[in-house]
Amino acid sequence: MSTPTSPYTPRRANGPARNGTAGDGLDLDPEVFDDGFGFDQIQEIAWDDQPLTQNAPQVETVDPDKVSVAVDNASKIYRIRSGTEHKNSTKRVGRHLQRALGSGWSEIPALNELSFVVNRGETVGVIGTNGSGKSTLMKLLTGKIRPTSGEVFATSTPVMLGVNAALVREISGRENIKLGCLAMGLSPKEAQKKFDMIVEISGLHEALDRPLKAYSSGMASRLQFAIATSVDPDILLIDEALNTGDAQFRSRTKKRLDEVRAQAGCVFLVSHSLGTIKQMCTRVIWIEQGRMLADGDPEWVCSQYQEYTDHKSNGRMRAAQIVYDRTQLKLSPVQVEFIDGTRPTKAG
Amino acid sequence: MAAPASERHRPSFQLGPQRVVQMDGDQLVRVGARPGLFRYIRNIWAFRHFLQYDAHARTSSQNNLDSLGRFWMVMNPLLQAAVYFFIFGYILETHRGIVNFIGYLIIGVLTFRFIQGAVVSASNSIAGNQQVVQAFNFPRACLPISSAVRELFATVPTFVVMAVLVYFIGDYQIADMERASITLDWKWLMFFPAIFLGLMVMTGIGLILARVVANHNDVKHLISIGVRLWFYASAVIFSVDRFADRGHDWIITVMHYNPAFCILDIIRDAWLYDGLGEPFRWAVLGGWAVGALVIGMIIFWRGEETYGRER
Repeated sequence: MSTPTSPYTPRRANGPARNGTAGDGLDLDPEVFDDGFGFDQIQEIAWDDQPLTQNAPQVETVDPDKVSVAVDNASKIYRIRSGTEHKNSTKRVGRHLQRALGSGWSEIPALNELSFVVNRGETVGVIGTNGSGKSTLMKLLTGKIRPTSGEVFATSTPVMLGVNAALVREISGRENIKLGCLAMGLSPKEAQKKFDMIVEISGLHEALDRPLKAYSSGMASRLQFAIATSVDPDILLIDEALNTGDAQFRSRTKKRLDEVRAQAGCVFLVSHSLGTIKQMCTRVIWIEQGRMLADGDPEWVCSQYQEYTDHKSNGRMRAAQIVYDRTQLKLSPVQVEFIDGTRPTKAG
Repeated sequence: MAAPASERHRPSFQLGPQRVVQMDGDQLVRVGARPGLFRYIRNIWAFRHFLQYDAHARTSSQNNLDSLGRFWMVMNPLLQAAVYFFIFGYILETHRGIVNFIGYLIIGVLTFRFIQGAVVSASNSIAGNQQVVQAFNFPRACLPISSAVRELFATVPTFVVMAVLVYFIGDYQIADMERASITLDWKWLMFFPAIFLGLMVMTGIGLILARVVANHNDVKHLISIGVRLWFYASAVIFSVDRFADRGHDWIITVMHYNPAFCILDIIRDAWLYDGLGEPFRWAVLGGWAVGALVIGMIIFWRGEETYGRER
């Protein structure tokens, strides 16, 4: 061990060694190691007495009347047609064939197996960075895509509320409203009743008779969101990340969203705003890189998430990884089991 | 289907305490599961307003990029009939042996346009509407059915043009064409049941093709070729007898069991030759209508859960 002769100079732990300590690669002075590395920013958590491997799972029984949604080991791998797949292929012949044809399947794992059970009356926040699999989870919950493995069960089909109402560009806003309502299963009478409310929320009074392609993108997404709010589902999914609009629009939608949320039995809220999540949710699920990292108390999960994103945005990848691993250590995975013969197969 | 819970492997990386939640699943349903066939059909019925409105809205907007607008709904079939008449009637002289050739050709070309349009748009309806499929939870069969109905709506002006043309110039003679006078009477109404049965056939075929195209996009390229073959096997621009003259009798058998030919033949018989359509044609067409719709519905329904995926 050599003691540094020069006064302390900050440096990167795995950066090129400076002249004073050249060739002395094993010199890992804790003081040096600590600095600029982000270790000092990692919050210590108390180690609890849980043994590292738990072989005997805790068995819980839930009241069948209270269960709203049960996700049983659902995962999703997208298979997408891709013209550049030959670059990733390892087979010698297949690769050239794919290249010549300009076709191939690209497999994109979006969500690893995850399970959770949500009871009636809970408001579940879903957080995660972009591309982490939140939207995929929402699509699985609404049954729009089928999980690659596992299944999703619910008391009734969950309804997603967000910018998802597909609009037809050629027809007018007025006709789109009616079409959207009918596509969500409302009768023409109900659609007529909801019409004024949708117009009110979207704030598009004067543009109603214009074809949709004459709308600005903001106007179109406002209309989509307004159409989507016209249903009163029992299990509600809100994708707030998609609710873009000016402050005026947001205040208008907030009232309606509160109404819808109040009558729903169970709410999932996807949001990037941790404030909203902490304020509204009784439970938070954090999904990162397709894995469920945490499922529990909003305060704790949000603080972990905050720390993770802080590290990430400042480029401290290893520190972020440590938060990631540490959070996952605290997760107690759930396995869903049905009492013999009650595993649901019928459709909703 | 996923393996039962006991056979699945546990996630490899987990260090928190494992929990097992046991529950009674009686109140739950599997999200996105395919309902039973009868329930499925009931669901489609519940969405009939959507079907109708979707067909109506899209029909009324399909020409709004053209400065002449809906005029093309009339003009396009007229021009098409003129082209076929010029090439096949005037130059190639396929009119030999056909009474009222102009009416024969007009009915053939314009009605087949509807048949072709209904099948092609229905077969494309799932693959081409992925946005809608992923946005809403309705029985997916609504889309092919809606496409076929939409095609019917869009063809109404064509049919009006067709009736007017047949009545006024259907028995017009050029050179040596044979002629029988055309009279407007109640037998013309046979057109409606024939087209209705035709729509059922197209919907059934469209449902089958929609599933195939949704799963294997490549089939789309074959459909246009298949439709062309079907065109020539339906006696659209020449008479069946032309094949018999050359000794290909088997083609006549094929034609007689071909639903498109039956539709054309019934309409021609009613409009041009003052008949009601041969009972055999009605029987074949009716059989096709019921058979195609039932089989198409079952085939499409069985694939219900596969339509919404990313491609």
